[in-house]
Amino acid sequence: MAFASKSPWVIHYDGSSCNGCDIEVLAALCPGYDVERFGIINTGNPKHADIFLVTGSVNEQNKAVIREIYDQMVEPKVVVACGICACTGGIFHDCYNVLGGVDSVIPVDVYAPGCAVCPENIIDAVVQGVAVLDEKSKALKKKRKEAAL
Amino acid sequence: MDLFYVLVGTVVFAVGGPVLGCLLAGIDRKVTARMQGRVGPSLLQPYYDVRKLLEKDRVAVNSSEEVYVATALVFTLLAGGIFFSGGNLLLCVFVVTLSALFFIVAAWCTRSPYAEVGASRETLQVMAYEPMVLFMAIGYALGIASMTGFLSFDVRAAFYMPAPVILSNVLVFAGLLFVLTIKLRKSPFDLSYSHHAHQELVKGVTTEMSGRTLAMVEIIHWCENVLFLGWVGLFFIWNSAASILLALAVVAAVYFLEIWIDNNFARVKWQAMLKGAWVVALVAGVVNIGAFVVL
Amino acid sequence: MVLIGFLILAPLVFAALLLAVRNNKARKVIVCAGAALVAAGSLVLVCLGTGTRGIMFTFYSPVVDYVCMALSVLIAVCILVFGFRYRNVASIVLALVQVIGSLVFEIAFAHSIVITECLYVDSLSLVMTFIIGVVGTGICVYALGYMDDFQAHEPEGAPDRRPLFFALMFAFLSAMYLIVFSNNMLWFFTGWEITTLCSFLLIGYTRTDEAIRNAFRQIIMNLIGGIAFLVALYAMAITFGTLSLNELIVVGQAYPALVSLPVCALAIAGITKAAQMPFHTWLLGAMVAPTPTSALLHSSTMVKAGVFLLVKLAPLFAVCPVPSIMTVLVGGFTFVLCSFMAISQSNAKRVLAYSTIANLGLIVACAGVGTPQAVWAAVFLILFHAIAKSLLFLCVGTAEHHIGSRDIEDMDLLFQRMPRLARFMMFGIMVMFIAPFGMLMAKWATLVSFIYAGQVALIVLLAFGSAATFMFWAKWLGKLSGIAGSPQNVERTVHRSEWFALWLMVALGVAACVAMPAISTFYVEPYLLGVYGAFGQDIAETNLWLASLCSIAVIVVLFAGVGRKGTAKQAPVYLAGVSADNGQRVFRNSLSGQTEAASRNLYLDELFGEGRIRRVGEAVCALLICVAFVGCLAGMPILF
Repeated sequence: MAFASKSPWVIHYDGSSCNGCDIEVLAALCPGYDVERFGIINTGNPKHADIFLVTGSVNEQNKAVIREIYDQMVEPKVVVACGICACTGGIFHDCYNVLGGVDSVIPVDVYAPGCAVCPENIIDAVVQGVAVLDEKSKALKKKRKEAAL
Repeated sequence: MDLFYVLVGTVVFAVGGPVLGCLLAGIDRKVTARMQGRVGPSLLQPYYDVRKLLEKDRVAVNSSEEVYVATALVFTLLAGGIFFSGGNLLLCVFVVTLSALFFIVAAWCTRSPYAEVGASRETLQVMAYEPMVLFMAIGYALGIASMTGFLSFDVRAAFYMPAPVILSNVLVFAGLLFVLTIKLRKSPFDLSYSHHAHQELVKGVTTEMSGRTLAMVEIIHWCENVLFLGWVGLFFIWNSAASILLALAVVAAVYFLEIWIDNNFARVKWQAMLKGAWVVALVAGVVNIGAFVVL
Repeated sequence: MVLIGFLILAPLVFAALLLAVRNNKARKVIVCAGAALVAAGSLVLVCLGTGTRGIMFTFYSPVVDYVCMALSVLIAVCILVFGFRYRNVASIVLALVQVIGSLVFEIAFAHSIVITECLYVDSLSLVMTFIIGVVGTGICVYALGYMDDFQAHEPEGAPDRRPLFFALMFAFLSAMYLIVFSNNMLWFFTGWEITTLCSFLLIGYTRTDEAIRNAFRQIIMNLIGGIAFLVALYAMAITFGTLSLNELIVVGQAYPALVSLPVCALAIAGITKAAQMPFHTWLLGAMVAPTPTSALLHSSTMVKAGVFLLVKLAPLFAVCPVPSIMTVLVGGFTFVLCSFMAISQSNAKRVLAYSTIANLGLIVACAGVGTPQAVWAAVFLILFHAIAKSLLFLCVGTAEHHIGSRDIEDMDLLFQRMPRLARFMMFGIMVMFIAPFGMLMAKWATLVSFIYAGQVALIVLLAFGSAATFMFWAKWLGKLSGIAGSPQNVERTVHRSEWFALWLMVALGVAACVAMPAISTFYVEPYLLGVYGAFGQDIAETNLWLASLCSIAVIVVLFAGVGRKGTAKQAPVYLAGVSADNGQRVFRNSLSGQTEAASRNLYLDELFGEGRIRRVGEAVCALLICVAFVGCLAGMPILF
């Protein structure tokens, strides 16, 4: 059994957005939805986090930031694009500075559409992300075992 | 022979400390959740967290960080071993301080700006609680001396006393409760790193720690909690089997109180913490220890 | 006894040689040979004397008396010359008072008093011998390399005063030996004054305005102490008709009221020498001297002469309440206040100076308590402090010449720029303030002894002082430990002689920490048995050995565990996702420019600043000393 799915810690980054999804993510973390039930904690530190929640679209300014946060996260890790802007660029997709969705910079594992994305959707996405996390964790373990042999 | 006891105690504590500490941490999260009107995670959540951390890839800013943290863990276990094998309370305090130092240096050696701020604050915290912790040990020894006429810092001495040490150490005990909030890393004194989502420091001391290193930090924290609550219980032990039950009840009450404080107070600035802890220590130390000497 | 004579005279011979020789190579040979001889002699003496409870030697020589007198006059003349040259009135007046006082004393009393046993050895003087002979000579060897660099850093055409420097260092060693072996207080006093003069000349070594100013501050304060010493000599001669230290202690224990004045005066002398408040500023000023001087005179030996005297007098403090209270409180306050002030300093030598004063304060307080337990603690404090502090001073000196600064903030990344030196420094710092190393074990004993003595004030002062001590050492340690990027290693140009001395100090530190229980059994306890007829060790043997084991573990971690290349993947530090040059901690700021994240240690100036604390401490301690002295003086006439 992999323990990754039992304690998914998240880090949240907000790209260029209207902040609607941003607020929904925080709402999901608040007592009303109580995601700590599933062991989810908002860490605010890429080195501690397993799941990268990105809201808003990617632009020239935050491209490097998203890249760096993603790079600093420790394997196994999962990216969840929250809201339509994060998935595709959304309403901002043809702005002069916008590159598009998060997947234009880093690989995305789960897409959670919505404008704004509702907390239930976020929770669903994280649960899906957790399954991916488990797989990655197993793959990592296997790799480590092989390296040890 | 004593060395042998300490060794056995350390081994036992190395197994029992984390188990107990993990459950305590689970209870803490559950109770906290209930206080906030939530369901909260499962009781074993802290265990899952650590297991997950152990499964993570090994990444570090430098390799020294992990060595320092491992050393801190070893000394925490040793401190627990000294305490629970009935050894010298003062030595136990010193070894815990040594472990705290290694933890601080671990943060500093990464040269991360956030970790450095966390380490500075952690140093301040140690400075804030250190006098009171010393007074605790002194008050304990004087309490033993007032009953037997023989000064002893040995933890096992309490089990031979006709009455618990708390009777002559009310103020020292109150002071200990005050600094316990710092030592347990509870709000309002969780300046250097916090389990809450205060994020101005990212994660303070532990900012650069990940995977296995962070897992060790969690285990250190569990063991410390068990040890510090052991200090609290020690004040209620005397020559009676019932005293152990009483001590456990007091420990439970104190832990609940700390969780309640944690949930009801906002973090303070370091000035308030330092001044508060020192004033409490000064009053408790001077009055209570002075009373021992005068009487 | 021959050995004692050798130890006192041999350094003098070498001093004379060094003064005469101007060739740098020859000087190196002489210094190394001298250091080796003196160290060997000291070690032989220490080994031969293992476990001794004290031996008195029947030795009296009027010639030595005359030599001592001549030396006193010479010292005074020297001070007067400098006083006139630099127009320092206070030093002239004090030197005149002292020389006239001592001449009158010689003529009026000294020759009527015959002391048959002028020299002695006990385990305390053996511990001091070890410090002077091994730590002291180690520092002299270190100075060879250091002074070469020092001279190279001096402006072009600066006069080369190195012959004088080394001569003074060796003369100083001789004076220290005289102090620790003399039972005759007159000889003791001569040694005392020689150390003062050596310190004066060495502080003023560079002859800059600041150096001269600080040198005069030192001489004025120490002359006050010297005059207090003289008062004690008068009181001893008048009331007992003896100048034997041993007799003073024996008689004093039987008739405490009689010795109250001499003990008080000697305590004041010791307090000035040990740079306690309000006299602590001379030691801070002394930091302008070349670093080996600071290591030798101002941390490991000369200031230890002050506490040595007080520890010798400890049995009398146990019975004389007035001087005891004065000593205890002055020491206690100095400990806590100087520890506080050390927090606010970023200059490494100043931190070391404050920490030295603070630790001396603790030793002074222990001596003032006067119980066997307290003396046990004091002896270990002296030993560990001497070793660890000289190591730290030497490290700072070497670092200063290689990174160009003695500011702790500039020691960032020293762990990589000077990997070995940084580890040495970290070891020295750990020995100073953290269990399981020696200083803290000694502090533990101190605490226990204060509890036994019922000294509530001291317990409280010790607790808060120790907390402050943790703060200022830990943050320095943290600064040193930083590892990042791969800065240039600048360690390769450190002189061999410097490495030798540094290794020596580290080895001594390790040995002393690990062998603490043995040192207690073979040296400290015999001394206490001889003086008190009681044991002083109050920490269970098991706990001492446990601490030894922990020390070994920490040393292994420090020297073998950290700083290696690990198996984990390297990662950059977290800079909020906006790093520009992560290795240098440079990030992109909100204006798309670049900023380097800089962090300084906490100095908490508004709480622990010098301006605030110094005045309080000086006032309180000065008041304590005045009241105690007047009290003792007033107590005397009743006896006549």
